[in-house]
Order: sequence, then structure tokens, then C-alpha cells
Amino acid sequence: MSKLTAAEIRRQVERFLPKVLKPSRYLGSEWNAIKKDWDKTDVHMAFAFPDVYEVGMSHLGTRILYHLVNSFPEFLCERVFAPWVDMEEAMRERKIPLYALESFQPLQEFDVIGFTLQYEMSFTNILNMLDLAGIPMRAEERGPEDPWIIAGGPCAFNPEPLVGFIDFFLLGESEEQLPEVLRLIAEQKVNPLPRRDFLVKVAHVQGVYVPDFYHVTYKPDGRIESIKAETDVPSVVEKALVQDLDNAFFPTNPVVPYLEIVHDRMMLEVMRGCSRGCRFCQAGMLYRPVRERSQETLLKQTEELVRSTGYDQVALTSLSSGDYSCIQPVIESILEKHGEDGVGVSLPSLRVDSFDVGLAETVQKARKSGITFAPEAGSQRLRDVINKGVTEENLLTAVEAAFQKGWSTIKLYFMVGLPTETQEDIDGIIDLAKKVANVGTKLGRRNITVTIATSFFVPKPHTPFQWEPQEAKASVDLKQRYLREKLRDRRFKYSYHDVKTSYLEAVFAKGDRRLAPLLEWAVRHGARFDGWGDQFREDIWMDAFKEFGIDPHFYANRAMDYDDILPWEHLESGVTKQYLVSEHHRALQEAKTIDCRHDECSGCGICPGRGVQIELKG
Amino acid sequence: MRLRIAYTKVEDARYIAHLDLTRVFERAVRRAGIAMSYTEGFNPRPKISFGFALAVGTEGEREYVDIELQRELDLGEVLGRIQEQLPPGIRLLQGRALTQGAKPLMAVLNSASYRIRILMALPILPERLQEAVSAWLAREHVTYSRYTKKGPTDKDIRPWVKRLVGEIHGDEIIFELEVEMGNAGSVRPEEVLASLRELEKLPLDMEELHVKRTGVHVSYQGRNSSPIEHDGFVQLAE
Repeated sequence: MSKLTAAEIRRQVERFLPKVLKPSRYLGSEWNAIKKDWDKTDVHMAFAFPDVYEVGMSHLGTRILYHLVNSFPEFLCERVFAPWVDMEEAMRERKIPLYALESFQPLQEFDVIGFTLQYEMSFTNILNMLDLAGIPMRAEERGPEDPWIIAGGPCAFNPEPLVGFIDFFLLGESEEQLPEVLRLIAEQKVNPLPRRDFLVKVAHVQGVYVPDFYHVTYKPDGRIESIKAETDVPSVVEKALVQDLDNAFFPTNPVVPYLEIVHDRMMLEVMRGCSRGCRFCQAGMLYRPVRERSQETLLKQTEELVRSTGYDQVALTSLSSGDYSCIQPVIESILEKHGEDGVGVSLPSLRVDSFDVGLAETVQKARKSGITFAPEAGSQRLRDVINKGVTEENLLTAVEAAFQKGWSTIKLYFMVGLPTETQEDIDGIIDLAKKVANVGTKLGRRNITVTIATSFFVPKPHTPFQWEPQEAKASVDLKQRYLREKLRDRRFKYSYHDVKTSYLEAVFAKGDRRLAPLLEWAVRHGARFDGWGDQFREDIWMDAFKEFGIDPHFYANRAMDYDDILPWEHLESGVTKQYLVSEHHRALQEAKTIDCRHDECSGCGICPGRGVQIELKG
Repeated sequence: MRLRIAYTKVEDARYIAHLDLTRVFERAVRRAGIAMSYTEGFNPRPKISFGFALAVGTEGEREYVDIELQRELDLGEVLGRIQEQLPPGIRLLQGRALTQGAKPLMAVLNSASYRIRILMALPILPERLQEAVSAWLAREHVTYSRYTKKGPTDKDIRPWVKRLVGEIHGDEIIFELEVEMGNAGSVRPEEVLASLRELEKLPLDMEELHVKRTGVHVSYQGRNSSPIEHDGFVQLAE
């Protein structure tokens, strides 16, 4: 690709920008965007979100890290997203390299490109973005003039399918770790060390995983025989962790997009972590322990956010905001202070209890359209297996409260293909849906709708279900068809997730580094935006597996043994393997495990020795 | 207090879609700490309304917006505070408090003028250009096929065109075009030039075309005036 300057790229892009969909995705001049002087900053980082602008801009972690890096005078951070297919085509046609939004500088000019790994189905976009930038996908083909390619986020806890493309990964919370890495890169620019020496140095930063230093061998049957670390790096990489969330960096001047994005509102992070211990939930294991922000901090942040963004809604975000110990007073204070100016509050995650329905009532600003609950499984037995501490009674009481308070649409989320699931559990979904609808009918409500949505369970690394196989997609497909058949009632609406993408997600979630060449092949043959139903190309993937002689079932549908070496064996979330094994046992015994927040310690292993503890403010 | 404001929509702001423009103004006013009036009903929206949409990518040198505020405030101060909160490319030019019962922009605006810069594909003599323009304007009907979702539809674009002049500057031609606009629709500047190229055989490079809307007007008996009347307004420094 020819070398174009920022000004040339801008001029060329402007010639066709009016013709692409949503051109304001590609500008970088939004309110609160930070334009720093390129020549007066030591390290230039491009923060890359491997999906479209509207998705990436809605992600809180992206907002935090963009402003965090820019809060250091010596660092510059700009944003880049995956251009939508029409924009990509226009850029490739004219040989325009991928550029960062703020300056239009080509990515190639940056010192470091940091990708965020939010879901496995965005892996192809990462490689495609590198290719669009004219940067070799493979680390071995890159030289000292190329940027460092790094990545963090939940999928960094098993990034093995990306080994060979990414120079190093950042595990855990980056608020302290990322600036430390950037300082090392600044030093490297002044006094360059050989590549290996630099990587050894960076491998000693908390949570940094340099895959080159970890060597994997395999048994004849394909399972892993060993993962051996070189002597000068830690044998196990343990995540970085913010000890004092209340004083941690949080931006109150986020970028305000021109176009409507997925979560188009202010976001307040009321707490981090969740200790409810749902056994399928990866986030619940990765972000422990629970740490809350104080009410004073949140109110101060809200005030600054309102002033700097002009948004009329603030979302109280976390993995389960209803569990935040000061939720009621915080909502009341926000509404008291800003309600008059038309500012409302939203709660993105609701528990299945009437307390949360009460909260939803308090925050409901507009017409009562829909309220969502996630029982996750259709029977009590299966809910006990997954440790979703919710009873049918809880749900029906909550639903009754919701109908009484005027809601007319109830949305219920379930997973299909959960470990130990039988036909009874599937029938349980239908049963529960009917009971929910009957509550409405009994209250004399007409025109109610119960929306049932099912997704296909994907076993995730670092959870008690990591050893579980994913159910065969044909069988889950049948179950979903069965549900579609049985939920044909005018009171119901049924939607379900396509099994093909969830299957590929399982392959990559539990995959190892042998998938890397296959991933590259798929990208070269046109795979991208795999999470988008209209873009997903199953044919490419099936050809890819054939081409490399790799059996996808080996990854997705094989039950692993406790003594199998997992592809992510050397990467630690802080929750011990011993705890995950015991939780898996308890799941199979249908035994519930209590939330350590209000009760005794369940021994997951996160707190001891890390200078952290559960932090409640209520 | 109902405000009518004239503003530019140039540079990066020209890529802001018409539907997104309400949000851009709404957030700017809120950041400025100025209380807006809201619609009644289940989903109250701030009372902000515009004139005819500007195509994405086309610059507007003088566009208008109406914003209703909860309280009476000093006009100059309000405009200044809002300006501080607007993204690059949107500059407030003039503002006026509307009198009670003033009609909304959509009800009063009925014409627009454009300046179009276009590259010549082959050299054109000035006389040839004038001939072509005159010949085109002399036509009573001009059929243009517009491609819509339902396939091509023919429409007569001539009645919409009120004025068209062209002048050669180096290797490009600058056209001044004035069209009628209304609820029944209008004609796009690109369509007029495409038709001129086709019917009068003018070698224009349609790939190298820059359109700017220079103004929107209240046109009455052959006279154009601004929807902001010429008394009591506040002129802002450039």
C-alpha cells in the first residue's frame, strides 16, 4: 500500500464519504473528542474496537481507556473502529489505508495499536483491520517500524487463537497496567532494545502475557501435553486489578457521537464485579471481587457528565446494578438533582424480584414499553445447576408487580443447551411463559405480550462450565424449533439466536493457538463481522476447517477432564481452579452456592494476597 | 421564548445526517445550561425544528432552526452560550425571538439556492455554455429518470428550477441554481446538472462535483427574503 499522509487520506476520503452509509462514523470531530499535537507527545496509541462505531462507542471500557491514556500529557490516544463493509470496499478500491479518527493518521504511523477483545466473533475484524492498515497480520512479518499490536478485554483470558498476530496481551483491569506498558514503549522509542529484551521487560508488568515465551506441546490425540514458560518470565500470568475503584480514573467528559449509537447515554459505573456466582457467566468470574463506588463519587460524576455531554439519560451500569448497595438513594439523588432538567436514569440489568421492579418504576421516564427478566433456565432444577438463585415464585411476584405498575410487555431470557438439560427443562420454559402470561390475564390485562428469547449456551473459559462440551447444534436447533412450535399463541413472541454463530463462538472460546492459521485463512477468504447475521459466512468457515484438517467438534463438543491441560492453563483470573472444580461438582449435584457479598466466603480465591477485598458502600 | 437561528453547516458538520441534527442541537443547548420546552405526551421531546433537510455531505452556508426555550432570556447571551457548545462547522450567524403565532420554518420556506462547482470533462467555450444553459431553460418540460427503490420513475424537473446561470473559472464551471421547494418535493442540484449534460451535450465531469446550499428563502412575488425578518435581530460577529 502506498504511503499516504494524514492530509492526503482526508482529502481522498472526503470525496466519497457522502456516498457511504452513516459517514459521521468516520470523522473524529465529535464533541469531547481529544485532538492532541502529534509532535508534542511521546507515545501514539490507536485504541481499536473491532466492530462498527455504534457498537464500539457504546462500550464503557473503551470510553475509560481512551480518556485515561489521554490524561497523560506525554501520551496521545486516538480511536479506530472496523469500517462497515461499504466503507471498506471504497477504501480498498482507492488503496486508502485504515486511519485513526482524530488525526486521519494511518494506523501504520502509530507506536502501538490496542485492540479490545469483547467477543470471539470479532477476531476476524482484528486481522482484517490490520490488513486494511497495510500492517502485516503476523508478528513475525512485522519489523521495528511497525506498531506494537496489543490486545486486552475478556477474551484475553483465552487469546490463544490470536497467538502469532498480537505481540502481547493485557489481562485484567488496565487502569494502572496500560500506562505502565506505554511508559515502557516510550523508553523503547528512545533507547531501543532488541525485540525479545523489550518483551521480557513488558512481561513483568502485572497481567501482561507475551505468548512467544510460552511453548505448547500436544499429545498424539490432539490434547495439550504441556505449556512451558521460558525462564525469564512468570510461569503463570495473573490479571491486573484495581484496588481502589472509588478513586480509580473515570472520565466525565466522554465523546458524544453525532449519530445514534447502541447505548446513547451517559454511563456511570456503580460497581465492578459480581459475586452472585452464576456458573455460566464468565464476567462474574473474571471481574471479582465486588467493589462499589461511593454515592458521593457517583453524584459528583453525574453532575460533571450532565454538564459535559448534554445527554438526557444516565445508565447505572455494572454486571448487576440492582445489587449495588446504595442503588435506591443514588437514583433518588440523581433524579432530585437533575430530573427537572429532563435527565432520566436507566437500569440496564434487572434482577428477578419486585425490589427491582420498584426501581424500574422509579426510573421509568417514558411510556412503559417492556421490562426484561432473565430466569436463564426453565426449571428450578436447572436454575440450581447454573446457580441462578431465582425461584418461580420470585419471577411471578416480579411479573405481577410489573403488570400492576402498567407494563404490558414482559421479556424473558433463557439459554438452551445448558449442562444436564433435558426435555423437561425445555418444557419448563413453555410452562413458565404460560404462567407469566396468565398472571397478566388474571389481572384483567388485555393485549399483553410475553417475549421469550433463547440463546445457545457457549461454555466459557474460567467458569465452572469450562470443561463442559457445547451441545450439538443440530440438537439445539431442534429444541428451538420445538419452542417455536409450542409458543404459537398470540400472547407470545419467540425469538432465538442462530446456532451457527454460537457454535463458532464455542470453537474460538475454547480454542488454542492451532486455530490461528485457520483464522487468517478465513479472513483472507472474506470472513468478517461474524457477529452480524447478514455478514456471517458459514461456508468460509467450513471450508477453512476442511483446508486445515481441523475438527471444530474437538473444541466445541468435547468434554474436557479436570486434569486436561486447558489452552488457558497459564492465564489466571484469580479464581482458583480448585474452586471452579468444586463449583462444577456442586452444579452436577444441583447444589446452590451463596453470594459471598452478604454471607460467608465461598473460597473462590480472589481476595487473599492481592490487596483487595469486597468493598460495599451501603 | 421561541428562537429562530441562522447557522452554517459546513466542514465536518456537513456529514451530520438531518435526523441526527436535532440531537446535536438538543445536547448543545443542554450543555449550555439553557432549559428547553418539551412536547407533551409519553415521550417528551425538546421543541426543536428545522427547514428542508440538507443532503448528507452538502454544505449549508445559511440554514435555520427553531428552538423553544422555557424562559425569556437575553438573546445575545443565549446565542453565545449555545455557540460555545456546538461542534466545529456549525456557527450561529443570526438569531431572533419569534413573535407569538409565527409559522414554523417548514411552513414558510419555499425556495433554496445552490452553488455548484463542477469540473469540465473537455474544454467548453463560454458561448457554448451560455447557449446550453439558455436552451435547457427554454424547455417547457424536462424529463429526468430518478432511481428509487421501486425502480426508475420519470419526473418533470423543469418546473422546480427558477434560475440557472453558469460561469467558467479555470477548468471548472460554477453554477448558481435556485429551485422551488415544497411539500410536493423538489429537484436535486445533481439532477439538474446531469440533465444539462445529457440533453445539451455539455461535457461535465459528474464525479467531480461540489454542491453548497447558499441559502433557503421565503419567496414571494419574485422576491426572496430570509425567514428571520429584518428588524430587531442580533447580528453575530463572524
